[in-house]
Amino acid sequence: MKILVVDDEGIVLDSCRRILASEGLEVIMAGSVDEALKILEQHPRPLPLLLMDVKMPVHDGMYLMQQIKEKGLEIKMIVMSGYPTDETIARAAKLGAATFIAKPFTPEELLEKVLSVARKGDSHE
Amino acid sequence: MLYSVRSKLIASLLGVALLVGSVSLFTGVHLLKTHVIDEATNRVRLDLNTALEMYQARIKNMRTALSITTLGSGFMDALANRNQSDLVYRLGRMAHHAELDFAGIVTGDGQVLCRIGPHAMMSAAAVDNPIWKLALERKAPVDGTVVLTREMLVAEDPELAERARIPLRARAESTQAAGDDEISGLALAAGIPVFKDNAVLGVLYGGKLLNRDDTLVDTVRDTVFLGETYKGHNIGTATIFLNDLRIATNVLTPDGKRAIGTRVSTEVGNTVLTKGQPWTGRAFVVSDWYIAAYTPLEDIFGRRVGMLYVGVVEEKYSNIQSQALTVFILITAAGMLLAVGFGFLLANLIMGPVHRLIKASRQVSEGSLHPDIGPIQKGEFGRLQKTFAEMVEAMGRRRAASESKIIQSEKQASVGRLAAGVAHEINNPLTGVLTYTHMLLRRKDIDAEMRNDLETIAAATERVRKIVKGLLDFSRQTKLDPEPTDVNRLIGGTVALLENQALVKGVAIKFIEGEKLPLVILDRSQMQSVLMNLIINALDATQPGGSIKIYSASGLSGNGASQKGVEITVADTGSGIHPEDMDKLFDPFFTTKAVGQGTGLGLSVSQGIVQRHGGHIRVQSELGKGTRFFVWLPIEKQAGSYEDTRG
Ligand SMILES: Nc1ncnc2c1ncn2[C@@H]1O[C@H](COP(=O)(O)OP(=O)(O)OP(=O)(O)O)[C@@H](O)[C@H]1O
Ligand SMILES: [Mg+2]
Repeated sequence: MKILVVDDEGIVLDSCRRILASEGLEVIMAGSVDEALKILEQHPRPLPLLLMDVKMPVHDGMYLMQQIKEKGLEIKMIVMSGYPTDETIARAAKLGAATFIAKPFTPEELLEKVLSVARKGDSHE
Repeated sequence: MLYSVRSKLIASLLGVALLVGSVSLFTGVHLLKTHVIDEATNRVRLDLNTALEMYQARIKNMRTALSITTLGSGFMDALANRNQSDLVYRLGRMAHHAELDFAGIVTGDGQVLCRIGPHAMMSAAAVDNPIWKLALERKAPVDGTVVLTREMLVAEDPELAERARIPLRARAESTQAAGDDEISGLALAAGIPVFKDNAVLGVLYGGKLLNRDDTLVDTVRDTVFLGETYKGHNIGTATIFLNDLRIATNVLTPDGKRAIGTRVSTEVGNTVLTKGQPWTGRAFVVSDWYIAAYTPLEDIFGRRVGMLYVGVVEEKYSNIQSQALTVFILITAAGMLLAVGFGFLLANLIMGPVHRLIKASRQVSEGSLHPDIGPIQKGEFGRLQKTFAEMVEAMGRRRAASESKIIQSEKQASVGRLAAGVAHEINNPLTGVLTYTHMLLRRKDIDAEMRNDLETIAAATERVRKIVKGLLDFSRQTKLDPEPTDVNRLIGGTVALLENQALVKGVAIKFIEGEKLPLVILDRSQMQSVLMNLIINALDATQPGGSIKIYSASGLSGNGASQKGVEITVADTGSGIHPEDMDKLFDPFFTTKAVGQGTGLGLSVSQGIVQRHGGHIRVQSELGKGTRFFVWLPIEKQAGSYEDTRG
């Protein structure tokens, strides 16, 4: 299963890649929203999972979710943030986020969230 | 200044003084005018009567003197014998005693037998004197006033005629020329017929010329007015008029001479002489205003031939009036002066303390909480002062309270901003640290020592994560997600979570449920973290063997507002809190716990949450004995509206 991870911080990207890869997920990384949009556009098959940060320079996670919503892409989104406020969580939920995870997290915590979201999708299909 | 209490007070007092003053002035002056002038007029009227009596008495006296002479022994014989020398002698004596100006005897057929004066024995040209003529005609005694022509006077005595001549003086208001001299005379006279055998033997007559004769008018003045003077002049005056001409008077002209030869005013002349009515009132006589009375004089034929006048100088009375007026005005002025002074005094008395309070309020508005309100007075003002002092004190208390609140919330806000920024930055690298540590720990090819070190890193990172989370919790002004909550259930659930921990430590924990508590609308998870923190704090402070008791009860808010609400108490038998720490408890990062044990954010966050619910937290603590935290939450409105929708 493929997952697109979007974060402006390399260390976070790398952490996510290593955790998710350890469970056999295929991780595609994007350092910015624009890059992520490009990948989404160019990818031959629709990507099933997206893990993204909220606060990023140029365009933020909210913008990315909005684009995805407008384009009508079927992708399960998990939002992560180092500064989770009720408002952020509420907005993310409105824009179609499946779940939310606060940074920092242990590998177990992240895997639990991502896998549960992925499984939910599977049972639906 | 115009609208100050002082000027208003003075103005009203002045107004009252002015009103009272002017009213008494007007009524006083009016009373004086009517009373004094009326009194004077009445008096003058009476005086005129007296004068008239005296005038009549003179005539009667004269008649008596003549009668006595006719009755004297030998008079009849002398008359019958026409003994002229004897008769002249008798006439002379009589005239002397009775102060007659003329006297004579006429025979029954109208021949003058003899008279006093230069023509004593010779019978002059046939000039009839009306007095004896009437007596002869009537054959009866006649007396009264007679007008004698110059011829008559010359016949009696040329000197008399001379005395009777009165040069006319121009009357001030008259446009007429002075005219000719008056040459007639006005006289008092009497004639007594003497009878023998029913036939008139003769007539004894005599009289007194009034022209230039001051005796009568001066007697009137001296007896009626008792010689009363005003400013060196007699206040009373009397005058005898021949027609409208003053022939005998003590009214003086401005140069101090008797005003003989002047005429009466036309108005008086018309009333008295033409209509024959007495006249009283204010009159301008010669050169002054008088209160005057006139009465007509009739001669023996009943013709109005003159007037008798008395009058008093009006100035005396008007002076009384003006004096009274002056006194009244002075009293009014004094009253007004007094009113001003009194007003000032009163205003100072009233306004002094008021100004002091105004000054005190200014001090308060400039920031002082200890204004000088002066000594507390008695009465209403004292109450005002006390209320003011209480108000200032209350302001002080409230200000202190709100200042500490502001400081508290500013502290929280700045810490919050800092925390947010730091947390966000720390969380990314922390993610890395946590991930790599845990990934390393998953590897099987590491030795025990390395595993141990990695686990230490993981634990330390976990601590950092907790601190950052606490910071975030603190900074997050999260919105409340309130719902109607059974407080007892919330507390029960929280206590259950911590029971194990307490058991391990050997501390008894007990929840004493309050009965019939209303539902409170609150954010359950936030309120639970408040309770958790309070109970954990209590656990941390309590030694094994100690106990923690949690109570819930309905309670009023206190603070004077007395709102309805629910109070939760967390009481422990722990260490207690140092008095000097009491006011730092709610400061963010204040902790007495060992490094790594507490962040010092618990109470600070809790207070924020409770305050956002409209409630408050209080502490009571005794060092060595224990501590009690009280959390009060309001039920009003929220609870009410909930019940409404439910019911
Ligand atoms: N029940 C209590 N008895 C004695 N001291 C107390 C009690 N509750 C709080 N304190 C004192 O108040 C301080 C501040 O408490 P607070 O809950 O704000 O922070 P903390 O408990 O030290 O750390 P944190 O709650 O963030 O882990 C505590 O360190 C302790 O000294
Ligand atoms: Mg605490």
